[in-house]
Amino acid sequence: LRGAGAGFGMIALAAMLAEQGLLAAEEEANPALNPLAPKPSHRKARARAVIFLFMSGGPSHLETFDPKPELQRLHGQRLPASFGMVKTRRAVDKNKLLATKRTFQKYGQSGIEVSDLLPNLATCVDDLCLLRGCYGDSVTHPESVYLMNTGSILMGRPSLGAWVAYGLGTENQNMPAFAVLPDPGGWVKGGAPAWGNGFLPAAYQGTVLRGGPSPILHLRTPPGISEAQQRRTLDFINRVNQEHLQQRPGETELAARIASYELAFRMQMNAPEVVDVRKESEATRRLYGLDRPETAEFGLRCLLARRMVERGVRFVQLYCGDTNGWDAHSNIEGNHRTLCLQSDRPMAGLLTDLKARGLLDSTLVIWGGEFGRTPMTEGTTGRDHNPHGFTMWLAGGGVKGGQVIGATDAVGLRAAEDKTHVHDVHATILHLLGLNHKHLTFRHNGRNERLTDTAGEVIRSALA
Amino acid sequence: MRWLWLNTLPWIVVFTLAAVSTTGRGADDYAIDPTQENHWAWKKPVRPPVPAVKNATWAQNPIDRFILARLEAAGLRPAAPAGREQLLRRVTLDLIGLPPTPEEIDAFVRDPAPDAYEKVIDRLLLSPHYGERWGRHWLDVARFAESNGYEHDEIRPDAWRYRDYVIQSFNTDKPYDCFIKEQLAGDELYPKDPAAVVATAFNLLGPDMTDATDAAERRQNTLNDMTDTAGLAFLGLTIGCCRCHDHKFEPIPQADYYRLQAFFAPAQFRSDLPTATPEQRARFDAASRAYQALVGPLREETARLEEPYRRQLFEKKLAKLSDEARAAHQTPAAQRTAVQQKLVEKTARLVKVSDAEVLRTMTEADRTRHRQLQEQIRQFDDQKPAPLPMTPGLTDAKDRPARTFVLKAGSLGNPDEEVRPGFPIILTAGHRPVPARITPRSNSTGRRTALAEWVASPDNPLTARVLVNRLWQHHLGRGLVRTASDFGIRGERPTHPELLDWLATEFVVRGWSVKAMHKLMLLSATYQQSAQPAAEASARDPDNHLFSRMNRLRLEGEVIRDSLPAIAGRLDTQMGGPGTFPLIPPEALQGSRAWKVSPDAREHARRSVYIFARRNLRFPFLENFDLPDSNASCPRRERSTTAPQALTLLNDADVVEAAQAFATRVEALATTEEERVTWAYRLALGRRPSADELRLAREFLTQSPFRELCRGLFNVNEFVYLD
Repeated sequence: LRGAGAGFGMIALAAMLAEQGLLAAEEEANPALNPLAPKPSHRKARARAVIFLFMSGGPSHLETFDPKPELQRLHGQRLPASFGMVKTRRAVDKNKLLATKRTFQKYGQSGIEVSDLLPNLATCVDDLCLLRGCYGDSVTHPESVYLMNTGSILMGRPSLGAWVAYGLGTENQNMPAFAVLPDPGGWVKGGAPAWGNGFLPAAYQGTVLRGGPSPILHLRTPPGISEAQQRRTLDFINRVNQEHLQQRPGETELAARIASYELAFRMQMNAPEVVDVRKESEATRRLYGLDRPETAEFGLRCLLARRMVERGVRFVQLYCGDTNGWDAHSNIEGNHRTLCLQSDRPMAGLLTDLKARGLLDSTLVIWGGEFGRTPMTEGTTGRDHNPHGFTMWLAGGGVKGGQVIGATDAVGLRAAEDKTHVHDVHATILHLLGLNHKHLTFRHNGRNERLTDTAGEVIRSALA
Repeated sequence: MRWLWLNTLPWIVVFTLAAVSTTGRGADDYAIDPTQENHWAWKKPVRPPVPAVKNATWAQNPIDRFILARLEAAGLRPAAPAGREQLLRRVTLDLIGLPPTPEEIDAFVRDPAPDAYEKVIDRLLLSPHYGERWGRHWLDVARFAESNGYEHDEIRPDAWRYRDYVIQSFNTDKPYDCFIKEQLAGDELYPKDPAAVVATAFNLLGPDMTDATDAAERRQNTLNDMTDTAGLAFLGLTIGCCRCHDHKFEPIPQADYYRLQAFFAPAQFRSDLPTATPEQRARFDAASRAYQALVGPLREETARLEEPYRRQLFEKKLAKLSDEARAAHQTPAAQRTAVQQKLVEKTARLVKVSDAEVLRTMTEADRTRHRQLQEQIRQFDDQKPAPLPMTPGLTDAKDRPARTFVLKAGSLGNPDEEVRPGFPIILTAGHRPVPARITPRSNSTGRRTALAEWVASPDNPLTARVLVNRLWQHHLGRGLVRTASDFGIRGERPTHPELLDWLATEFVVRGWSVKAMHKLMLLSATYQQSAQPAAEASARDPDNHLFSRMNRLRLEGEVIRDSLPAIAGRLDTQMGGPGTFPLIPPEALQGSRAWKVSPDAREHARRSVYIFARRNLRFPFLENFDLPDSNASCPRRERSTTAPQALTLLNDADVVEAAQAFATRVEALATTEEERVTWAYRLALGRRPSADELRLAREFLTQSPFRELCRGLFNVNEFVYLD
């Protein structure tokens, strides 16, 4: 196979070598030539790659990471008047408080409490930095999904992954810089703009990946065309292009386009290998829960995430939960039990595996949804959206684990101590990647736009 | 009538908050920094003299003298003229976005007439494909899309009418001042002209969260979007930067933003404006009468049949009401007191008789007759006239209390001083806020008319310059001002300020005719230069700052995609109408059910400008080639070079299919291999192959089928980069 591929590869390679000096310099001056060429960070980076585990629909902090004895005590009563007015999506502010049926237990050396829905992840708690005082700006799904992913409740701004790809490029040109693995049950509310490029060049947008032989759109040689033919045709294209370039010397855009065909060819060779987990050991497969029906699907995507960052992909985002996902307006028990069961072992497996391979130090893992859920009940068994206070966690990549930062109020309604806005979380993520959120800008319609708009403070206490 | 959320707006809330807001620095107190006062773009362009040049014979028209004067000053010569075939390919793709046919190439190459090239330009400007190509450029600026975005991304069923309006406007060479007025105030100025009403959809093309929790916030977002876009699109002003505070870099105070927004404040955001032509309306009325003649008697009999049952049921329900309520219902509507009227409204639901109730109480015989009547009515359903067309767009109510406040930090909950409609003070005499002169019209407040008249005026220093610069940018590869929607202090200075002003004044002289400006630019020797620089030019003008050659342009995604079926001879040239849904590979649709493929496969080969513009699912082929995100006005597309682009052009099913059709076409045209290769080159690249290329192709064909040569040609650099 490789031998047969040499035709195109060798010629293109020779051309690349000849052009390389020229191209590399030009690429820096004109990013359109290779928008994803690696770029230096602003300061020394603690994390090289990011895996963002996005729990779509809004997971309840009260059932997972934020135990509230006072909520248990006030169960069935109305929110005390001292809490004032509170805006929610479905006007549940006057509803009774709902205690959680979950029990919390201390884990690890840090003794951080985690709910019994997450027994596996709990064993990794000394690696987690829990942000229990997170808050956002909107009570609706799409606005909050956009806020968490793009820093604005209005649609159309570049996503976090796109900003990172723009700021740093990527180390593996054979793979997309920013890979997105949506839940096969359906996309997050707000859809593809959640991983969109906004006003950044399209090359920085998230690429949707899936398992199987054609993980990337158009990756496979079309049906009816043999691999040998594909290579012959590529050779022909390349020879015509080389002739064309020779008559137009010094045209770097033309040289870059020749190089892009070489890249495409390598992507075609490499990408299927990245998503092919057959060579992973039984132990590894078990670690991610690939052996169990309830965890196999999300486990596979977690394993793919590790394989990708291992190969230099810059930013991987996994969505857990279909379009409704964690959005438990009713039956929070059943809903969260199912989704925790689905994600607990794979996430623990991911952290354990990254650590064992020495990748956790350089890989930032993020967990969170678009918001948390209200302590007030919706109906009798559900909880409404709560952007006023919720939990996220960070692990690896320069994060100081085994600690809790921030707290919600007594019933878990609002962030109350060491509050961290979504902008702060974003600023911290960029900081860990060696990027200053105030300096990572892109001029658009007259304004130097940035992910954090005019806000954002790095959460210093989260840093190792 | 369907209304958007407008009527439910809590204006009173805004008003109340304003009353208690603290007054900070007054909106009139802004002092313009004297160093920013004299920026070139704030001053009306004055027609400069055309410069003298040494090599006067090179110049084809005044444009060239401006360009050449700078080249000569730099000691440079322009590039040689492009070859005939190169020039024809360039100008054809530039004006209509489709490659020239071999017949057109032959005709041009063989035409010895001195005006052969001019005739080509005239022919292309008359092609309906011209509007499809240049309309698309405007759609980028207008952030055109046909769905709402956010979670539900609902379809806007009539948004395509705006796309067609734009294409039509370019094709008919609508004067640009009129094009502006129609989009900003077509409903006020030309209420009888359906096209002008459609034009106002321009203001509503941005994203919209239809299920927003806060209706006032939702309306404010839309107002912001239309204010920002009007500033960028027509004026090249980044006024959106002053929504929250005074502009950091331009002499534009925050109050200017809200003064501009105040022109839009009385607008109602509609999705259901009638847009029928008088003929359509006449046809509809006739069809309605004909239909009524058929079903009228049947409906009357139905009513007669139902009447006693209906009355009986009503009486029964009425008897259950209080004496007062009963009396109120029994009083004829015109004679009811206000209290009675309220009472009737309140209890209407209790006495309402449903069709189902009527049917239930009927005798068997009456019910049978009823059923027969309904069946007979249904038989005429196919003769029911289709509803009249509607369009999104703006209207204005004269009596609407439209007050606009400066919003602190852009927040609706934080209103400051009230402002009146007015123009950015840097563009007013004396740099003071001058309330715009507004004449209320019979159908509206007249505010947007005042704005439109000011924007579309020859006295506006920005309008003409911004548009001629956009035209120049698309023809020459970059604008005279590189930041095409930012003519402010932070924007880039024009590389040829005199030329820009000459073009701007010429544009007005020529009655704002866009086609006249195309012709002027295309006939210039500057445009006709080769992309190969003269030796000294590549060293001393490496970035082509001086236009010492043609910029080598990569074709846009639409042009690449439309060229495929055009070359294969299977382009569907049907114009206009609702958007089409070509095939999207299932892996790109993963998890999204937002795309219902058009059942008629021929439609898939329509021009890309007709592909349904879904906000949350950009068409992948075009997205790959830098189709802009439609959430904000896009002045200039990115031109990236990526591996996914290569994968798309190599492996996309449409490309493979087009290559097959291309091969079939060529095989029917010629019998020998040499002839076939020649045809393939002429169709795909607009020229004959050289002897070397012929040899290379034939060598390739010893092992590969002809369709692979065709697929290969779709992928070579020359196919996507113009000489």
